[in-house]
Amino acid sequence: MRSSVGYVWVDSPLHRAPAAAKLVGLLVAVALVVLASSPVELALAAFGVAALVAASRVGWRAALRSLWGLRWFLLVVLCMNALFFSASDPLLSLGPVRLTLAGAAQGARIVARTALVVVLGTLLTATTRPQQLTSGVRDLLRPLARLGVPTEAAALAVGVTVQFVPTLLRESRQLMRAQALRCGPASSGGIMRRAVSYVRLLVPVFVSAFRRADELSVAMEARGYRIDGRPGRPGGENRP
Amino acid sequence: MSSVKRVVVAAVCAALGIVLPMAFHAVPGAGNAWLPMHLPVMICGLVAGPAAGAATGLLAPVLSSLLTGMPAAPMLPSMTCELVVYGLVSGLLSSRVRTGRLTLDLYVSLVGAMVCGRVVGGLLQALIFSAGSYSLAAWAAGYLLTGLPGIVLQLAVVVPVAVALERAGLVEPRYPQR
Repeated sequence: MRSSVGYVWVDSPLHRAPAAAKLVGLLVAVALVVLASSPVELALAAFGVAALVAASRVGWRAALRSLWGLRWFLLVVLCMNALFFSASDPLLSLGPVRLTLAGAAQGARIVARTALVVVLGTLLTATTRPQQLTSGVRDLLRPLARLGVPTEAAALAVGVTVQFVPTLLRESRQLMRAQALRCGPASSGGIMRRAVSYVRLLVPVFVSAFRRADELSVAMEARGYRIDGRPGRPGGENRP
Repeated sequence: MSSVKRVVVAAVCAALGIVLPMAFHAVPGAGNAWLPMHLPVMICGLVAGPAAGAATGLLAPVLSSLLTGMPAAPMLPSMTCELVVYGLVSGLLSSRVRTGRLTLDLYVSLVGAMVCGRVVGGLLQALIFSAGSYSLAAWAAGYLLTGLPGIVLQLAVVVPVAVALERAGLVEPRYPQR
């Protein structure tokens, strides 16, 4: 769990671009990556993503850091596809397991698409502060307010979610290390032992996250923040 | 619970819905088996109500897909619908079930949500997302067999977490007179 999503403090055209435009751009780019199927299309998509990383000036290390956390997942996806995707023309056959070229190509396609989407997502959070992201979501959702959609609450929820990801990631990592030191890694042993290990790990993770949520909502209400946008009474509604 | 806190709790649970799969995917194959994204959605529904649960069920997979690439885009619509049902039903049941015992209330709500989410997920697969190529065997294999560790984890984790949150005074008590 070494991946991280967070703002990188440099100046670049991507940093200066409006958040709403970046959100729309991300959706379009993700759609294009998902639709790319041939090696040429995927290579073009990879070139486009690489150009965006260069233009963002966040650095290759920061842009690719999230992929490192997914290395096992991507490896499993690649292997599963290579070994089980197809039964025709196997390069190697061992019982139900058949290594095929078509399977390996399918696995490589999925891994490439996932990797490109991950880098695009990392670029969004590396070049956009949570407050800007909240404003961007609010701008994009504004037309829906006429239909009664609670756009203010939606924008707040998206902003808080993105803001909390790096914090919770860091805390979860610390708790996992502490748990591993006390009782061994949670990912070892049988199903029941692992379930018990996960309970020991997840209870403090959730309590810590809810404590942060409580502190944030108290601070917002104390400053008179209201979901409907109207100024509220300092001190807010009844707690908790 | 105030409306601001409800939104913030939904958002924090959505953030956990992004973070926990990242942690579980560090172990090969653990993400699909242990279903880590389901946990914060169900917990949010139980402690913050159906609207917050449904919002978490919507936000977590969509933002996770955009930020981390998981779930992959073809799986996103079906997974989002399933998670919204988990959050919605756990919240609805939690607000209505009153047996007088906190743990029993939560387990009834949780199991109800787990059943409804899996049934609705299977129906959506059969009628919309994999129409014509979906069978009862595929449903049983996908939702029950592959996800068995996830079912065990949900039964083992969700209620203790909800109880711990109540004991820590972070959510409204169900039976305040005690």
